[in-house]
Amino acid sequence: MTTLGVGPADAASPVEPGERRRTTPARGTRTGSLPPLRGLLPLVVFLASWQLVASRLSPFFPPPSDWASALLDLSRSGVLLPAAFATVITFLLGLVAASVLGTVLGLAVGASARTDRALQPTLEYARAMPPAAVVPIATLLLGFTGTMKVVVVTSAAIWSILLNTRSGVRQLNPVMFEMARSLQLGRFERVRKVTFPALLPSIFLGVRVAAPVALVITLLVEILTQVDGVGALIAQSQRNYEFAQGYGLILVAGLFALLVNALVSMLQARVMRHRPPA
Amino acid sequence: MTSATAVLRRTNVLGVATMLLLLGAWELLIRVGLLDFQNLPAPSAVAARAQQLLASGELMTNLLHTLRVTLLGWVLASVIGIGLGLVLGLWRPAWRWSMASFELLRAVPPISLVPLALLVFGFSVRTELTLIVYASAWPVLVNTIEGVRTVRPELRDVARTLHLSRRETLLKLTLPAAMPSIVVGLQLGLSLALVLAVVAELVGNPSGLGNALILAQLALRPEEMFAYVFTIGLLGIALNAAFRQIVAWTLTSAKPLPGKVS
Amino acid sequence: MTVERSADVSSAALGTQPRSVACQCRNASVDLGSRAGPRRILGDINFDLHEGEFVAILGRSGSGKTTLLRVLGGLVDPTPESVVTFHGRPVAGPPQDVVFVFQNYAASLLPWRTVHNNVALGLEGKVPVAVKRARISESLATVGLEARAADYPWQLSGGMQQRVQLARSLAMRPRGLLMDEPFGSLDAMTKASLQDQLQQVHQHTGATIAFVTHDIDEAVFLSDRILVLDGSPATIAHEIPVELPRPRDQLATKELPEFLRLRRQVYDAIVETGD
Repeated sequence: MTTLGVGPADAASPVEPGERRRTTPARGTRTGSLPPLRGLLPLVVFLASWQLVASRLSPFFPPPSDWASALLDLSRSGVLLPAAFATVITFLLGLVAASVLGTVLGLAVGASARTDRALQPTLEYARAMPPAAVVPIATLLLGFTGTMKVVVVTSAAIWSILLNTRSGVRQLNPVMFEMARSLQLGRFERVRKVTFPALLPSIFLGVRVAAPVALVITLLVEILTQVDGVGALIAQSQRNYEFAQGYGLILVAGLFALLVNALVSMLQARVMRHRPPA
Repeated sequence: MTSATAVLRRTNVLGVATMLLLLGAWELLIRVGLLDFQNLPAPSAVAARAQQLLASGELMTNLLHTLRVTLLGWVLASVIGIGLGLVLGLWRPAWRWSMASFELLRAVPPISLVPLALLVFGFSVRTELTLIVYASAWPVLVNTIEGVRTVRPELRDVARTLHLSRRETLLKLTLPAAMPSIVVGLQLGLSLALVLAVVAELVGNPSGLGNALILAQLALRPEEMFAYVFTIGLLGIALNAAFRQIVAWTLTSAKPLPGKVS
Repeated sequence: MTVERSADVSSAALGTQPRSVACQCRNASVDLGSRAGPRRILGDINFDLHEGEFVAILGRSGSGKTTLLRVLGGLVDPTPESVVTFHGRPVAGPPQDVVFVFQNYAASLLPWRTVHNNVALGLEGKVPVAVKRARISESLATVGLEARAADYPWQLSGGMQQRVQLARSLAMRPRGLLMDEPFGSLDAMTKASLQDQLQQVHQHTGATIAFVTHDIDEAVFLSDRILVLDGSPATIAHEIPVELPRPRDQLATKELPEFLRLRRQVYDAIVETGD
């Protein structure tokens, strides 16, 4: 039978088995290759000169070495770790809640044009609302609590997931479902084996945008309400004129952001493994 | 779009009805007492309060302050972002020798700088402007770099066969080709500018919608808080819509994002 | 071969062996909703498919041939007065033992599953694991793709992907195959090799096949009988028996005077019904 498949289209079939991995680039990370490391030089020079001239400047700009020691003090006094933990928990809970709700809502508005039309202005308005404005309302209704933090983070992070799921649902090819029915797959089996995996890349595209948003909003709500977390510590260092500590904590926030980006990229590469390159 | 009937046809009646229905349900639940959140005002009370604020001119003053600062900060950020983006995107050595620094700096959430900016600049419009410019310059910068760096190589060949000068290439090919990407950056920057304006006003600056919101909170006036929050939302929608309309008028080739929240 | 549209099937033994009816279509009509209300696409269609028969359904584009096939496959509901049965049971949803093969192979294969797992899709949880494995390798061997079992569909050429879809259908051990222009988007060489392969599958399995196409040569080459759809709403305008010797060969069969005559007859039938 092997003689049967020698049409030109077959001859053009690509990829040796061994090459498969390399031909599956993670979607979204292709544009703009990573810049070379030597580009860090300006930052290093900047920080080094800051270190050298800082003490003579003003208390506003303590040298980077002071930032480190301030952070160390903070961690020794047992404040930093619980705060970091609180921030991570809020971030994660908010992101997970946004993912679940965003997927469900995205499915609802994606599957029915009528629902979409009915909810569109309301959602559009809710989306345009700057998350910062939601914070006072959330504290008014839910108090200065962990729940309030998670609700605010969820309300800000949900949009990209909702929108991506919606467009994902719309792009699903009906042939996929007819095929599943023709193969006698049950309703539950169709959702589990066809719908969900088919939507996964769209949902994940949304999560990818939502993750940094969730982190920023976690910090925002902590800075504004001073309920636990790294953001609350940043706000406190402002109140107590602890400049060095403030800079150090900003550094921590930056590290969090880098970590979140790296984790999301890894997760995305995993989700997109074995998917056709876009 | 030309006649009134067309406008009417474009109006999403079902959607507006749903919105009104939701507001009505909220009102009803409060009246009946089923919705028993402490401090949650009924929509009618919020509307009444908003009317008072409008009549006294308080709302308008605050709205104008926020709008002015947002737009000013956004314009500055856009100039900086596009200028720097063109340098980094078109001049390879600059990109090689500094892009990694920018990427690292970009990772720091601008929100975390708010308290320090307050310390350094005090409770002032300067704090607000600095924060807005800093935060909203990033998406413009990144999208400009991305836009000019991903111009299709065919276009460069076109420039060479037509014997265009470097200036002409930039103005007639590279920039227009990069425009869609830049427009997306500008739009993201605009919504970020409003977010940062509100944040700065919430924590420090003694005027604007965010500040009024905080004052209402301190004075325990929920109706007033909601009135200001709804105003902020409307401002967000209006800015976004205005931006899209201007883009539609000026650039037919560029499609802005449907919108993103940061 | 049986060519008559006779209701009395048991006596319809025109050929060598008597065949029972696999699929019955009586007064089948289809209304599809459009902006101006429902529109009748198919009107009063009557025919039988006999067990093991290969029937081609021909017609111009938009003539409703795909809709007819989808009715047989339970993917489109006909009007209430229509009677459509497969293996004696009325069609309501995709019938058991019948598999639909789509023209759009790319959309019908799941990109996140390997070729092997795509073929497994209809068997999972329905047959023991050992049986499943055996059936998968058997059907992949039938289409000559054993070597690509671990690959993903999007790494294969279009012709190979369509063979995967065929393998997936065969793994279900279907008594009926409903094929909707399966080779419509393939190049001529690939198409020919897949036609040969389908012919072998047909001989091997003895499955009843309804095959929608707009390619006259393909219809004559593959089928025992050709139904030509035409009109609005569409009905069966012509029924043309094809009595070419089997197995058929891409060159020898297509040079037979009978092949050329049939080709001409079908062509005339379509042109005549058209304008």
